[in-house]
Amino acid sequence: MYQYLRNNYTLLLLSSPSIVILFSLSIIPLILILVWSFWTWDPITYWIKPILTLNSYFDIFSTGRIEVLIRTLVLSFIASTTCLIIGFPAAYCIHFIIKGRLSIILLMLFTIPFLTSHLIRTFSWRLILGRTGLINNLLMSNNLVDEPIEWLLFSDFAVGVGLIASYLPFVIFPLLLSFRKVDENYLRASSDLGANLFRTIYSVVIPLSMPGLFAGYMFVFAMCMGSSTEVQLLGGAAASMLTIMINDVMRVVNFPLAFSISTFSIIVLFILLIIGNRFFKFDSLFKDFSW
Amino acid sequence: MNSRFFFYFCLILCLSIVYLPPIYLLLISFNENIQPGIPSLGDLSLKWYFKMLSQKRLITSLNQSIKVASITCIISSVVAFFSALAYLEYRNFRSKWFLFIIFSMFVPGVIQGLSLSVIFKIVEIKPSAMTIVGGHLLWTLPFAFTIILTNLSNINKNIILASRDLGANYLITLRKIVIPLIFPGIISSFIFSFLLSFNEYNRAVYLVGRYNTFPIYMFGSMNAGTSPTVYAMGGSTLILSFVAIFFIIYLTKKKNK
Amino acid sequence: MKSEKKGFLYSNHNRRELLKTSAALGGLLGVSSLLGYNTAFGATKEINFWASATLDIEDSWSRLKDDLGIEGIFTDNGNDPGPIVTRMIVGNANDIYDVLGLQGGSEKELAVNNAISPWDTSKIPNYDKVWQAAKDIPYLYHDGKQFGLPSVINADSMIYLEDKVGTIDSYGAIFDPKLKGKTGMEDAWINSAIFTAIYLKESENWPIDQPGNLTEDELGMVMEFLIKHKKDGQFRTFWNGWEQGVQLVANEEVWVMTGWEPIVYAARDRGINAKYAVPKEGWEGWGNNTLLSRGAVERGLGDLAHEFANWLLDGFYGCSIGEMRGYAVPTDKNIEYATSHSGEFDVEKVSNLLNHVKEKFGGKVYWQNTRPDNFQLYEEWWQKLRNA
Repeated sequence: MYQYLRNNYTLLLLSSPSIVILFSLSIIPLILILVWSFWTWDPITYWIKPILTLNSYFDIFSTGRIEVLIRTLVLSFIASTTCLIIGFPAAYCIHFIIKGRLSIILLMLFTIPFLTSHLIRTFSWRLILGRTGLINNLLMSNNLVDEPIEWLLFSDFAVGVGLIASYLPFVIFPLLLSFRKVDENYLRASSDLGANLFRTIYSVVIPLSMPGLFAGYMFVFAMCMGSSTEVQLLGGAAASMLTIMINDVMRVVNFPLAFSISTFSIIVLFILLIIGNRFFKFDSLFKDFSW
Repeated sequence: MNSRFFFYFCLILCLSIVYLPPIYLLLISFNENIQPGIPSLGDLSLKWYFKMLSQKRLITSLNQSIKVASITCIISSVVAFFSALAYLEYRNFRSKWFLFIIFSMFVPGVIQGLSLSVIFKIVEIKPSAMTIVGGHLLWTLPFAFTIILTNLSNINKNIILASRDLGANYLITLRKIVIPLIFPGIISSFIFSFLLSFNEYNRAVYLVGRYNTFPIYMFGSMNAGTSPTVYAMGGSTLILSFVAIFFIIYLTKKKNK
Repeated sequence: MKSEKKGFLYSNHNRRELLKTSAALGGLLGVSSLLGYNTAFGATKEINFWASATLDIEDSWSRLKDDLGIEGIFTDNGNDPGPIVTRMIVGNANDIYDVLGLQGGSEKELAVNNAISPWDTSKIPNYDKVWQAAKDIPYLYHDGKQFGLPSVINADSMIYLEDKVGTIDSYGAIFDPKLKGKTGMEDAWINSAIFTAIYLKESENWPIDQPGNLTEDELGMVMEFLIKHKKDGQFRTFWNGWEQGVQLVANEEVWVMTGWEPIVYAARDRGINAKYAVPKEGWEGWGNNTLLSRGAVERGLGDLAHEFANWLLDGFYGCSIGEMRGYAVPTDKNIEYATSHSGEFDVEKVSNLLNHVKEKFGGKVYWQNTRPDNFQLYEEWWQKLRNA
């Protein structure tokens, strides 16, 4: 009995800071947004009046805004998956092959670019991928191509590269953290039992580091969904992503539409998150954990 | 060993992708000309670095960002730590708790900033560094939480059981066993939160007071056109960080002798 | 125990070293940030000017202190009317900023929402000398009161690289199939729609009445035209922001693009032979105006703000802006000032600039409007363009 009570008291104490913070700063404002998304736009005051309507939600489907959401989702998926595919071996290399002090240094190396401005870093890609940029210059001066390659910049390819370059380390860190769970002995045992390197990774390393995989993927995905700079600087003519669309809509003070787009995308993302959670079973990783 | 080569290749690839822009930036910052490009030997100069020191607004915005990011990373890591512990205490509600904390990661930043600023206006809180912290916290908390949680999963439950058997209560187990074991996770969450907050633009734009944060300043200068001092800014952060790393390496190497 | 291999953080000793250095760094940062905010307490009069960065004269704001004893604090507002208007109406901007400077057109909605207060031009003696053309801009006024004071006006057309495309004198170059993939426009319906409409009206004789204020049908026609060209791959990209625009021209990514005149000057500074077109269809006129925030009046800074506005029209500011950014404050006081202060500014350059702008406005100019009647429809069409 005492145990149970003590557990609850501890629980209350531990959860209260985040409940207070999240509720006041996140949930309540979002409820406001939700309510406002049902109001109508008042052309006289350029603000909204409390006449309830579902018009703003219908507008999402009428002016092709869904396409932008889908496009953002697809781009984020591709970027996150690519980050994971090249990030995993890199993290594996850092943790299992290199080890020691050098691995800490490499970790720090991955962190440093974030102390420079994100905007400048993305902008620099224009100078690398452009018609007179680094890559085209190299190719032309070595006579590999006759004319500069156009699609390197101002295309979805460039946006993808920009996204990956911006968020790659966010996949590597969680992976490194969760690799700690993989004891050297497991790897040795697995190779003793005759498994080659890739089999070991598939059967031993990946299952044990699942939390890290999921976390990394989620991080990059969330950041790509919320990104706007890469598309603005590297995308083609007037390319669009979710954040840019919301900004556009707010620019014409069509607040109900902006709020309904946000609510809608939050719901979509949340559903995806729940599905992902079921699939990867994040909570089951702690199933046997108790003290 | 062919397979090893593959891993090294991926590592080099990742490093290159992440470092290509910053290195290019660094090279450009030494170029005397206004037009950014790799300087030929004749164009090398530190002109923009000296000019950068006199850009008052650049320095102020940098200060503001560092201040906000520091406060954010401390609060966010501490709260995330508690929430992660709470996660473990919840037996049945773990999924829901997890989704509750993670939720704000998926809210578009602009909307979060706007709604928060409206609420602040209603309760008459004046915009300041702390209001920006409020917005940034929403962004960094889920990340910090996930990282600490990931690290917690590394703890072998037997160690906990062993400490229990030896008579330690909750607090002592926490202090002597858990915290040392997940220390890398806590450090990571500090660093993560700091970086995330330092680079965050959308959430801050509606919440700033008189002093813009660094990303907002950068955005403005991209739109208005300032001299290449911005490249010098990026270059100097890079150089300083490299120096700091070498310093730390040197320190620890000495101690290990 | 494999602690050495796992990383040096495991060793207590190394961990303490790391913590010590970080604490020291943190303390240093803390102290420096406190020092950095050493704002003067006391009776210095302050005006917080929240404006587009194109209105900034940077270090020269200290002149305001010398002339009037007012500390002018400039903050960049990002030049995007959307967040600015939002922050003024529902956000916190009224509490922080006293005077605003932004592109014209939003005055009406800010006034209707009581976010700004009208100016009293009797308190601004320099206002008389402002050019009549600038005073006549319709959206400065609402409900019989004047809410905006013209700070900068200019007329835009296109930037082009003469070496690549020869001399351009028509907006048709942007849509010329021979230049496919080599042209650009600004990523803003405010500018790009009106440029296209001007071209279609003048050169192709489409039935368009006011390019700055398109009706629903006219808008549809214009936007369909743009969408078709985008699908054909006519545009290399749409640019967004000063630095992007300059880079596009300087790196020769685009050979012709609609844009702001100072981009030409910046490109020339970087050694590119860029020219600004004199289009036969006409220019796109725009203006940045200063507005008075209601918060300033409530804080009792109304009169101070009027002094500030007067100073902006006094000549020094106009000459500085002209020299720094190539923009013109529409008053002849600039020439007066340069003449009497010939050590500071080159009279010839100043009058050349002003005459150049005046000339443009003497010709065919279509005024830009950030709030055409159907502005929400504009945005919807722009979204369709984005998806195309």
